[in-house]
Amino acid sequence: MSNVTFDADGITLEQVREYVWEIPQEGDMRVPARVLASEALLEEIKEDKTLEQITNTTHLPGITTNAICMPDGHQGYGFPVGGVGALDAENGCISPGAVGYDINCGVRMMRTNLTYDELTGQEEELVDALFANIPSGLGGGGVVEAGVDTVDEILARGVDWALENGHAVEDDLLHCEDEGMRDGADPEKVSQKAKDRGKNQIGSLGSGNHFLEVQRVTDVFDSEVGEAFGLEEDQIVVLIHCGSRGLGHQTCNDYLRKIEQQHQGLLDQLPDKELAAAPAGSQLAEDYYGAMNAAINFAWVNRQLIMHRTRQVFERVFDRSWESMEMELLYDVAHNIAKKETHEVDGEERELYVHRKGATRAFPAGHPEVPKAYRDVGQPVIIPGSMGAGSYVLRGGENSMDLTFGSTAHGAGRLMSRTQAKNEFWGGDVQDELEEQDQIYVKAQSGATVAEEAPGVYKDVDEVVRVSDELGIGDKVARTFPVCNIKG
Amino acid sequence: MGFALRDHTADIAVEATGDSITDVFASVADGLAAASCDDIPAATGERFSLSVTAENREALLFDYLDELIYLRDVRAELPVDHHVEHIDRSDADGSTDTSTAEWSLTATARGVPLTEIDAREVKAVTYSEMQLEFIDEHWNAYVVFDV
Repeated sequence: MSNVTFDADGITLEQVREYVWEIPQEGDMRVPARVLASEALLEEIKEDKTLEQITNTTHLPGITTNAICMPDGHQGYGFPVGGVGALDAENGCISPGAVGYDINCGVRMMRTNLTYDELTGQEEELVDALFANIPSGLGGGGVVEAGVDTVDEILARGVDWALENGHAVEDDLLHCEDEGMRDGADPEKVSQKAKDRGKNQIGSLGSGNHFLEVQRVTDVFDSEVGEAFGLEEDQIVVLIHCGSRGLGHQTCNDYLRKIEQQHQGLLDQLPDKELAAAPAGSQLAEDYYGAMNAAINFAWVNRQLIMHRTRQVFERVFDRSWESMEMELLYDVAHNIAKKETHEVDGEERELYVHRKGATRAFPAGHPEVPKAYRDVGQPVIIPGSMGAGSYVLRGGENSMDLTFGSTAHGAGRLMSRTQAKNEFWGGDVQDELEEQDQIYVKAQSGATVAEEAPGVYKDVDEVVRVSDELGIGDKVARTFPVCNIKG
Repeated sequence: MGFALRDHTADIAVEATGDSITDVFASVADGLAAASCDDIPAATGERFSLSVTAENREALLFDYLDELIYLRDVRAELPVDHHVEHIDRSDADGSTDTSTAEWSLTATARGVPLTEIDAREVKAVTYSEMQLEFIDEHWNAYVVFDV
């Protein structure tokens, strides 16, 4: 530990080493909390309740080593967004609030062999076609509208269901975490209410910060890994950001309420009711894990259906088959999830529920859970920026297992509240400026959403990624820049 | 008496006050509608009723708002113009043991078809920072919603 400290208005952080800060253990904290950030990012992080929330997280039973805030951390509810907490799977607990309402909210990137020059001049046609064909917004329906029987199949089988029903190809499964199907998914543990909400939303973006973006690759920083990921400069790629929709939101709330009713004693020990957790080994912990895994499958199918529909839109706009445009899934990563994983802690292998809420798994090269296609170079990590800034593709860094239980950031992280954003920006102005100054074509169901998601409301994604890269938890591979963006 | 939308970095909060507990519940629900839509049409949509039960007052507020979000998705309507008719507490066995008490609520709302408005999705009600208190002869509530 160095002697350098950072005073965050009443909370003192001690610098462990460059970009690693610690809030020492005191009171009922079970472990110290850590924040991975530059001083510039800390200045932003200290402005809301992020530090209080990551400190609260250390009260969870079974929390191991540290509760960790990623460089893009910001205030959430209970657990901060950008939080990682590894809880002992035998003597600890599992917390729906530490996963988040949007179970398996995540991003996937699809490659194409199109170049930016080939697309130039067709941006408006493309953004209009995508907006017309990809369901978005509230009440916008889904690519598939189905009965509860179909929802049950999706919950149980994930992307395998999409493959059988013509919405995927075999190769898509091979480029998705867990091949798009979680073991242990139990549709019976998902409530009827959750299924009723989900059945009309299968293959839909929703609204808020969710989007579909056509992007061009502007930089490849690591040519060897870039080649392994199939990325080169000027190439067109598609980024899809959404989650498990109402089905996941309902599942989270269903279990928060059950925990409140069945495990009040544990809840009383916690400083925030949103950290509600079920003790490991309890029936409710098993039930939640089964339901959460099912909702994870639902979210993967959601993104898969949107991606496959995007292929069809490109076919119409560019008048050739999607196969000839080599529209292939690069990878799909979750950033609201808890997974039972084995990690080495103090020289011993331990099974932990690793909660990543607004954080991305970032396993390094050689890890057996990295898909074969990328095992030699490390797991792809996709970090979306705002619609006016670049996004990044990273690869899991070799220090991630030691520092962050194999995790890194998930995005730029919000800087400004939605109400403040609407006061400072007008959706129409934001759209016009993006088109005139940066040739970015944006189409949204709601102008207010465009204002709330204006580039100025987010942190500097470049700084978030720089810190991740410097720490060796997620290494820079490539950068992309928006071309067309649709949102709810 | 009414509601105000309050800042939250990622999400949105509603602060509401009311002369009665039914008023403050309805005001929080009106805040939820306002957080979803900036321009709610005055007369569109039919009224519908709903009822909720829970084990305590805060849980009743949570479940009421959760039910409104659920009904929004399955009815494809944004519930607006909320009116909470009754909030009652009954003791299941007539004793004063609060653990056996059950709180119930009946309410109505007007359902505006989502096809007729530009509405944003509020994902869920949360317990984070939730307050429901009777202070200085008024009910006050503070609720954070996940957006």
